[in-house]
Amino acid sequence: MPDGEIRYRGFTWRPLGRRLPVVTGLDLTIGPGERVLLAGPSGAGKSTLLHALVGALGTTLGGELSGTVEVGGRVGLVPQQPGDAVVAETIGRDVAFGPENVGLSRDEIWRRVDAALDAVGLHQGRAHRTSALSGGELQRLALAGVLALRPDVVLLDEPTSMLDVDHARSVRDAVRETVASSGSTLVVVEHHLEPWLDMVDRVVVLDRDGAVVADVHPDAFVRDHRDALGDLGVWMPGLPSPVPVTVDPDLLRPVTPPPALTARGVDAVLRSRSLRGATQTRALNGVDAVVEPGRLTALTGPSGAGKSTLLAVLGGLVRPTSGGVTGPEPPLHRRRSAALAADVGWVPQIAEHGFVATTVRDEVTRTADRLGRVADAEALLALLGLEHLAGAHPYRLSGGEQRRLSLLTAVAHRPGLVLLDEPTVGQDRGTWAAVAGVAVAAAAAGAGVAVSTHDSDLVALSDAQIALRQGVRQ
Amino acid sequence: MRGAVTRLNPLVLMSFGVASLLGSFAVRDASSAVAAVLAYAVAAVVFLPSWRYPLLCLALCGVSAVLVAVSAWRLGNGDHAPVAAARILVLAWPGSVMIGFVDPSALGDHAAQRLRVPARFVASFVAVVQRMTDFSATWQQLDRTRRVRAMGPGRNPLAWVRHAGSMTFGMLASSLRGAGRMSIAMDARGFATASGRTWALPAPWTRLDSAGLVVAVALGAVPAIARLAT
Repeated sequence: MPDGEIRYRGFTWRPLGRRLPVVTGLDLTIGPGERVLLAGPSGAGKSTLLHALVGALGTTLGGELSGTVEVGGRVGLVPQQPGDAVVAETIGRDVAFGPENVGLSRDEIWRRVDAALDAVGLHQGRAHRTSALSGGELQRLALAGVLALRPDVVLLDEPTSMLDVDHARSVRDAVRETVASSGSTLVVVEHHLEPWLDMVDRVVVLDRDGAVVADVHPDAFVRDHRDALGDLGVWMPGLPSPVPVTVDPDLLRPVTPPPALTARGVDAVLRSRSLRGATQTRALNGVDAVVEPGRLTALTGPSGAGKSTLLAVLGGLVRPTSGGVTGPEPPLHRRRSAALAADVGWVPQIAEHGFVATTVRDEVTRTADRLGRVADAEALLALLGLEHLAGAHPYRLSGGEQRRLSLLTAVAHRPGLVLLDEPTVGQDRGTWAAVAGVAVAAAAAGAGVAVSTHDSDLVALSDAQIALRQGVRQ
Repeated sequence: MRGAVTRLNPLVLMSFGVASLLGSFAVRDASSAVAAVLAYAVAAVVFLPSWRYPLLCLALCGVSAVLVAVSAWRLGNGDHAPVAAARILVLAWPGSVMIGFVDPSALGDHAAQRLRVPARFVASFVAVVQRMTDFSATWQQLDRTRRVRAMGPGRNPLAWVRHAGSMTFGMLASSLRGAGRMSIAMDARGFATASGRTWALPAPWTRLDSAGLVVAVALGAVPAIARLAT
């Protein structure tokens, strides 16, 4: 088969531990050099199609595979969780991994490494430690690692989901340039389609069962399918932002009404060290911030600005190097586990790290059970479209589903302070409306809600904003 | 002088551990035991950039040394107990200190290019060792999420045991799943089909490395020389 061609025939995949296949009988052919945008609601099996092309199904990922998947030439994939692609301690050596694998000469390896790092806008130098990068920077590093390989097929799984507008644009430009100069085939999985439409020549849309419901040219896609696909949850260009769903305030009303949370002059220095050297990142520099009860506060700024660290400091999870947070008594960072949980709910950036139960239902009620509170798991799961997964293992959910579950674990026990780190990443219009609905409703019910986000639609719903850049309040 | 160890070839760093391991067999009496421990202690003061890390390693090795001494004493071999303890220190301490200074990528470069260890093995080994540096970050993250979800340990010592169990399981699950995803990411960067792999950096051997190797062998020979001299 020619380099750059992709062919699925009767492709069916049922992951281990799921009763029904996520993709059933898919037939799809992508020609060499074609640029395809793969869209569909959360959990439609988009990432699965990419995993099939790198030979991971049935080998690295357990499950039942039938039908055939063929791909010609060299394949490069940027995975959804950006930290997964890191193989070396320094960014230069990490990007060199692909070129080393294909046996390039040393000069050529470093030429490609420098060009790839430059293309994605990582200018810290080859020796910068990978452990000192933020989530968004890791995403760009993963892309650089694939670009340096110059593959025949470039596969991108939500490559800009954790990035701010400027960095997302620079990543798209890097992809555009690479694909144009090499003529490689491109398959992009994204939720926010509009910025990619002028770069692709075909849009393939999957429905919730993993079947192809549209396979069209980008122009026809927008013209003919806007409303139908918008209803399916696809972020169609030109549609207004979804309206957050209305949530019963009793599900989210804080058990104890919270005081305002005030951070003053907060410095936070994060150290990544080993005996051979240390990298210090000043994540926050003299930041003042207030999270008022009853309001939704958005933390914004480019990737690496210190948003996640500020959230963790506000929630008493990271002790600031200097400065402090006042409001709740006793101070959150001094509290023991149960006393902290009684007043704080937190969604970490990597949802999986927060999972402690073996079923989705238990995961939702676990914290409430420990605190002797009652949580209405059925109502909450139905709210976020997870009711059919109540008995599934949390690890078996898709990326977007895990994030929604993580949100429920943070709000089900009705804390007074809700801290959400990038809660809308990987959501379709439908699930976005539910996630945003929970954030808005928690604030309306009296909780202090802070979200760190790049999502302008979510920022638009906020009552207050805290903009950060390189750890400094703007 | 005290920063030299960070510029040493990783193979030379490992040679300190190998030499001390072989040398420990010659620790048989008080004079060889004292000479060997003293020699390594002096070398640590002269060549290592900081005191804290070698002391920590010494403390950890000291636990096993004390256990060996106690069992030697319990078995009625009380005279031999201090020597047995010193032998364990000589065997384990230098290697445990030097391994901390090994840069996994540099070790991979040298293992593959100088020792001709198979490339795929080396590349995956390096990636896995690199991943271990993430462990502390993952542990921290797991600990935070458990604390904020009322799953922290509290004051009860039994709860501490349960917490440690839950954290260990979390780490295990996270490592296994991370390993799966990392292997997908590695294969998707040409690793699955890599043959004739090249290396981005050379594996040079400098004069400092030769000097280091001489020091490693000399330190390893101290117990044997001490025995011959007495």
